Amino acid sequence: MSDNEQLMELYTQLLVLRHFDEFCYDLKMKDLIMNGFHPYSGQEAVAVGVCSLLREDDAVFSTHRPQGHSIAKGSSTRAVFCEMLGRRGGVSQGIGGPMQWIDKPHNFFCGSIVGSGLPIAAGVALAFKRQARDSVAVCFFGDGASNTGAFHEGMNLAAIWKLPALYICENNQYGEAMPVQEFVPVSRISQRATSYGLNGVSVDGMDVEAVMNATADALEQLRAGQGPVFIEMVTYRFRGHYGGDPEHTYRSREEIAVWRNRDPLTLARTRLLARGYSEETLDDLEASVRAEIEEDMEWALEQPFPTVEQATDHVMIPLGQD
Amino acid sequence: MARMSYRDAIRETTAEELRRDDSVYLIGEDVGRWGNLFGASAGLLEEFGPERICDSPISEAAMTGCAIGSALYGMRPIAEIMYIDFITIAMDQMINHGVKYHQLSNGQVRVPVVFRTQGGVGMRNSSQHSQSLENWFVNVPGLIVAMPSTPADLCGLLRSAVRSDNPVLLIEHKSLYFTRGEVPEGDYTIPFGVADIKRAGEDVTIIATSWMVLQALAAARTLADEGISCEVIDPRTLWPLDKQALIDSVKRTKHCVVVTEAPAEGGWSGEAASVVHEHCFAELRKPVRRVCGMRTGIPYGTELEKAVVPDASWIGDAARELLA
Repeated sequence: MSDNEQLMELYTQLLVLRHFDEFCYDLKMKDLIMNGFHPYSGQEAVAVGVCSLLREDDAVFSTHRPQGHSIAKGSSTRAVFCEMLGRRGGVSQGIGGPMQWIDKPHNFFCGSIVGSGLPIAAGVALAFKRQARDSVAVCFFGDGASNTGAFHEGMNLAAIWKLPALYICENNQYGEAMPVQEFVPVSRISQRATSYGLNGVSVDGMDVEAVMNATADALEQLRAGQGPVFIEMVTYRFRGHYGGDPEHTYRSREEIAVWRNRDPLTLARTRLLARGYSEETLDDLEASVRAEIEEDMEWALEQPFPTVEQATDHVMIPLGQD
Repeated sequence: MARMSYRDAIRETTAEELRRDDSVYLIGEDVGRWGNLFGASAGLLEEFGPERICDSPISEAAMTGCAIGSALYGMRPIAEIMYIDFITIAMDQMINHGVKYHQLSNGQVRVPVVFRTQGGVGMRNSSQHSQSLENWFVNVPGLIVAMPSTPADLCGLLRSAVRSDNPVLLIEHKSLYFTRGEVPEGDYTIPFGVADIKRAGEDVTIIATSWMVLQALAAARTLADEGISCEVIDPRTLWPLDKQALIDSVKRTKHCVVVTEAPAEGGWSGEAASVVHEHCFAELRKPVRRVCGMRTGIPYGTELEKAVVPDASWIGDAARELLA
């Protein structure tokens, strides 16, 4: 694939994630998505850049803001819409909701306890290593997670045992409403990785090609069995911590505008224009992506809610069949 | 039948499961070089090597999360939490993640993890190394909680736990490691949710768990000399609970004592008592009596740590009062 075709593919995925997220935001404002929706808008280059290089057999662990990672890893937008809406047909059949679901066919997991994914990803990586597979376990988490015990415990374990775990810190500048510089005493979160003997790097998380290049280097090291990699992706969330949060209490319009000037979609689009694609081609592409996603949303809104019987199913494997 | 200690039953059963299934591995603090604090995995590092007997850093969240993650991809870990008091560090990984994944995956994911740990008094370790914390876990949907009281029960329940695709918390007791008993030869398993009558009797049912089973049996011997016949029932798993075994016994004896080392308030002892009250109300001559640990942190010292948890005399007094 040429560089141009590749960027076009990445741009298409960015559009999918952005429009998916914006439709979700509207659904949240209408209370059709209930609680727990955390917008991903602004951070799409991270999910797209990393996941574009993953294989189906690689595992991904994500956070309370998982929709971008899940779709980029292969989950269908219909299934993720359904989960957001709590409908049957969702990735977790509408039981998990916007923060916790499992899409086993795509080896995708997420959960809403900040920092908790790092040890579990280490365990997945341990299994891959023991089974002599060259699959990797990718763990996404935020800046806030880097203060939790599980972050340090998990990364330490992966480092001492040289496990094929890729740790992606999405520094979106805020832990809920608290600015990162108030709760992390180092200027780059990647500095924390050096205390585990890792080469922590920081990458422009708004630039999908930069994200992809850093990920490609990491995967090469991981698949060669050389131990874990830590990458800080410097990014920004355009919307609140959760859909409809009181943003004005912790950040200014001016600050948001500065970051919006570095919108990952605009960056990719500008590059495509410079490489010869026409405005019309890119506009048509965006319109068709948006229409397709809207259709998926309409489909999801037709799906039934789970019953109480379904909601209490699979709490455990029945005794005698376990 | 082979006679062995509870500690040796752990080691033998673990070794047999490691030999039987390559996906089984043991992970925990000092399970390798030390072979566990009590010798419950002594010699296993030499036989199975460091990939299957993994000495973990003192890092319970890492060890537990690692066990869970590996279980998602074909491994069958036995994660040893050295003292149950340390499990607080591991609980997010266990409760919010490991136990929930089967349901969150709509049944597609299985998490075959055994969390092995030990609690209770007996080593003069005081308040952060001697607690009985099982009650917290009985309240978690999806988690099996086993508390074997004899070497045979340990062997059968541990083997079932390793082979189960459900997560299992198996709680040993530090005062049981050097008790001895007969262990059946061969591939001996015990299903979860099947109680055992440790002593048959006619006048009063004593339901007890873990080390308290031994205290109940001692009380029963003393009471027998006084003409009181006790039936001692060990549920073996707190959840699932063999309600029928409790009900059948109490319907016959018409009197019931529930004994736990953990404090009574908000605990499993209340659950057991409720099952009896709900099903045997007509037969009961008196309300169920609970004999439980005092609501205190476990104090330091040989005498004091034993003074705050039930013993045979507490149980004997309760039975006498019921029958008076």
